[in-house]
Amino acid sequence: MALADYLAELDALLIEATTAFAAAGDAAALESARVKYVGARSGKIKDLQKGLGRIDKADKPAAGKRFNEVKQQVEAALEAAVQSLVSPKAQVRQDRWFDPTVPGLRPRLGRLHPLTQTTEELKDIMGRLGFTVADGPEVEDAWHNFDALNIPIEHPARDPLDNFYLAAAANHSPLPPGEGSGVRAAIANNSPHPSPLPAGEGTYLLRSQTSTVQIRVMEKTPPPVRIISVGRVYRPDTADATHYPMFHQIEGLLVDRGITMAHLKSTLRLFARSAFADDVHIRFRPSFFPFTEPSVEVDMSWHGGWIEMGGAGMVDPHVLAAVGYDPEEVTGFAFGLGIERICARRHGVTDIREFYKNDVRFLHQF
Amino acid sequence: MLISWNWLKQYVALDVSAAELQRRLMFAGINIEGEKEVGGDLAIDLEITSNRPDCLGHLGIAREVAVLFDKELKIPAARPAEGKTPAAELTQVRIDCPDLCFRYIARVVRSVKVAPSPKWMTRRLETVGLTPINNVVDISNYVLLECSQPLHTFDYAGLEGHEIVVRRPKPGEKIEAIDHNTYELSPEMCVIADARRPVAIAGVMGGAATEIGPSTRDVLVESAEFDPVAIRSAARKLNLHSDSSYRFERRVDPEGVEWASRRCCELILELAGGELAAGSVDVGQQPPKREPITLRFSQLQRILGIEVPADEVRRILLALGNIEANEAADPHPSSLIPHPSSLTVIPPSWRRDLTREIDLVEEVGRIHGYEEIPEDVAVPMAPSAKRREDRVLEVIRGVLTAAGLDEALTLSTVDQQLSAAVSPWTTAEPLRSLTPVIRGADRLRRSLIPSLLAARRTNEALSNPEIELFETAKVYLPRPGKLPDEQWMLGITSGQDFLTVKGWIEAVADALKCPEPPTADDSDLSLFDPQQSCRLRLGGQVLGYVGRVLPEGLKEFDLRGSTTVAEIKLGVLVAAANLMPQYAPLPPFPSVTRDVNLVVAEPVRWSDLAATVRAHAGPFFEGLQYRDTFRDPKRLGAGKKSLLFTIDLRSKEGTLTSPQADAVRDQIVAACREKHGAELRAM
Repeated sequence: MALADYLAELDALLIEATTAFAAAGDAAALESARVKYVGARSGKIKDLQKGLGRIDKADKPAAGKRFNEVKQQVEAALEAAVQSLVSPKAQVRQDRWFDPTVPGLRPRLGRLHPLTQTTEELKDIMGRLGFTVADGPEVEDAWHNFDALNIPIEHPARDPLDNFYLAAAANHSPLPPGEGSGVRAAIANNSPHPSPLPAGEGTYLLRSQTSTVQIRVMEKTPPPVRIISVGRVYRPDTADATHYPMFHQIEGLLVDRGITMAHLKSTLRLFARSAFADDVHIRFRPSFFPFTEPSVEVDMSWHGGWIEMGGAGMVDPHVLAAVGYDPEEVTGFAFGLGIERICARRHGVTDIREFYKNDVRFLHQF
Repeated sequence: MLISWNWLKQYVALDVSAAELQRRLMFAGINIEGEKEVGGDLAIDLEITSNRPDCLGHLGIAREVAVLFDKELKIPAARPAEGKTPAAELTQVRIDCPDLCFRYIARVVRSVKVAPSPKWMTRRLETVGLTPINNVVDISNYVLLECSQPLHTFDYAGLEGHEIVVRRPKPGEKIEAIDHNTYELSPEMCVIADARRPVAIAGVMGGAATEIGPSTRDVLVESAEFDPVAIRSAARKLNLHSDSSYRFERRVDPEGVEWASRRCCELILELAGGELAAGSVDVGQQPPKREPITLRFSQLQRILGIEVPADEVRRILLALGNIEANEAADPHPSSLIPHPSSLTVIPPSWRRDLTREIDLVEEVGRIHGYEEIPEDVAVPMAPSAKRREDRVLEVIRGVLTAAGLDEALTLSTVDQQLSAAVSPWTTAEPLRSLTPVIRGADRLRRSLIPSLLAARRTNEALSNPEIELFETAKVYLPRPGKLPDEQWMLGITSGQDFLTVKGWIEAVADALKCPEPPTADDSDLSLFDPQQSCRLRLGGQVLGYVGRVLPEGLKEFDLRGSTTVAEIKLGVLVAAANLMPQYAPLPPFPSVTRDVNLVVAEPVRWSDLAATVRAHAGPFFEGLQYRDTFRDPKRLGAGKKSLLFTIDLRSKEGTLTSPQADAVRDQIVAACREKHGAELRAM
């Protein structure tokens, strides 16, 4: 018999015997277990002792040594089992009371902000769908925040009351270099007086949407482009339960040959199914955004009804042209979702101002 | 915008329920914000997007409805009976500011009888939330709500010289409007004046002096088109927003100006009697000719992802008011080609939003229905890698949350006091937003520390016992003539001591496997206790600051408990991180350690001593751990301290012997004695 097999048998016996002794609930059970394993005539220990004879001579010392160890351990286990039958545990510990219900020593673990948790999950999902994260500045010039996004100078969205323009000291260089589009050239030729800008409009502002990042990426990258941009955006709103002048957006952009609204709908459905782990459906309602055409509001099916997800559409040919793409060659879709709204819905937060109070009790709820 | 269900049905014979109508409108781009029963009628609140000012009246909605349900649209003819006297004999109109007023049409109705409006009209106005005043005023409101062209009616007798001058206000001019408030006019605005003074703020509100009242006999009807930007800024400046200004801001139908004028006069004759002067005084530009637009049918599939039959495309576009371009002008008249590949149309005057092919694609798509677009096509796969920044941030967040810090998220702007409190990265004045983002917070922050200390105060006020916060966000460092330098920072505020917070930063650098640990020198920030603060460097670059806030600082932030703060440049960590550490073989021999206790003069810094230890530790050196510093003038002498540390030694060749390890220690001690005057202290 091979040494390895013999040693394995010994180990198996040790486990079997000690388990049987510990499990014996009364003297009778323990006695039958004793006979089975250490019985003088046909106990299993005895069998294995006989087995020693079949071991190769060279291996005998090793086998014998291990046999003795196992035998001793089995006998010790039997002794312990006998003792515990004679004197039950409670009595043994009468002098040293033990309370296993006392809480463990827990390290204090910090929590990530719920908006970060939601953002990271959405980024993850979009990553699996092949979208890479892109980043851009939060302080923007009018070209990236408006003109390139097909929001011309007379558009109400540029109104000073609807944007956080920066004080003039910041505006030494009103225009980025580059080919002068009509609007840009008009601004450049006229500054500073008389200004074609609506009264009060400065050149730099806190971005009002993360679409600015799309422009910056497309300006530098030839198609195809497949990105998401995530970050802070700013719009003058009185803070209340559903509004805050600063909030977070996640925007997706896919520009390539042959991209249609069917790809948009299908991508959003994949996204929603991943985010909500449910077989949701997507519907489009026509809407209007300057930088997409057609533009739609996106709803998803939810518990028998429909809830708003955000805005989306096909990238406007003007936007494609503004970044030097050929709208006859490529098409693209873009969509934008408000992270606060998604996060609030996921966690049942009823007042989005809570997100910015940073009350430790709030942060620890998530 | 509120519309009346009964009123709407005047223009299109509807046999569907209001609910079905609302459903279809929603899927055509007009959201329903609510509905309300008003005296047997139904008021439906519609949300009209800014590109569709044509839908700011019942006729515009009726047109959409007619297309959606394939019904006929009935538009009133607006052909009022005219008298003999030409309008031009009764009034003159002059536009002095053609940049602000594109067109002005005046008609005059004489000998009207101002009285209350009939029931049918007052009911409709009340359904949509308007208070009836008298028949003439009600009619102008009614026509506005019918076709979305704002109108104004003047008491002709009150117009000095019986003339209209459209001009900019003269310096110091004021006007008492029909709301009986007096408004100061500024030179960039546009007013309607008579020979002497302004009688209306153009497109915004009429003046009290020429208001239609019970004694009015003759009426001048204004229908005009004003510059949207001028109207918007005037309405904003005067804080005077009206149904009229709302529509002018979004631009009116240039051809609707004339129709609305006739329609208004028609209703005046019908409800208030009188005689309409012949013709009109029509000054300014005539409506521009619209350029034809060609829609290639292949573009529908290319953009929408679905086929729309050519017949359906034609039906939709023509029903929306587009006119098929003159076939004679078309080199390939579509009637001669069995399967035309495109359709050329001239868009209607009220649809300024239709100028390009893509606009027609959208029109076809939204009327045909986006529900036809499949939601299960295969989207091509593409690779996407996590950015280095995101992977570094993930590690940092893991370390800090494990250390017990909660993540905060604070506003990007702060008020002046917070902004001035500390600015480690720049001496330039912070950028300022023209309006505060929130209560006084108009400074773009140059540091995260003030915001985090404010969050700390919020938590202190709630008696939250443990306030351990970090945030990763941008600071905005001004650069002359350029967009600011936006840098990602890690900010911390903690109730722990200086060494603990410093240790967190060291742990972060370690978790990122930066090639070298951060080094420290003296901080120069006045917010910090100089005895418990430092500036950190990583690979020669400034990494950031850690420091305990001085009591004066705590007071400034209204804090009771002490706090240690840190601000770290994430960019430096991102650059230094080693995200793919490499394996080094592990010698299979045990290590040996030696504890060393050296007495040195106070000016000797640990970092100097540690450098000497490393330099002289020889080939067996594996690690060096700082243990403690002791100060005891009696036993060590004044100006002395003892530094305790442990060295880890290991050989690649075999188990180190005690004499070997002792030899290394002695070598280290000798070097430290020579370099730093260190003396070994008995353990």
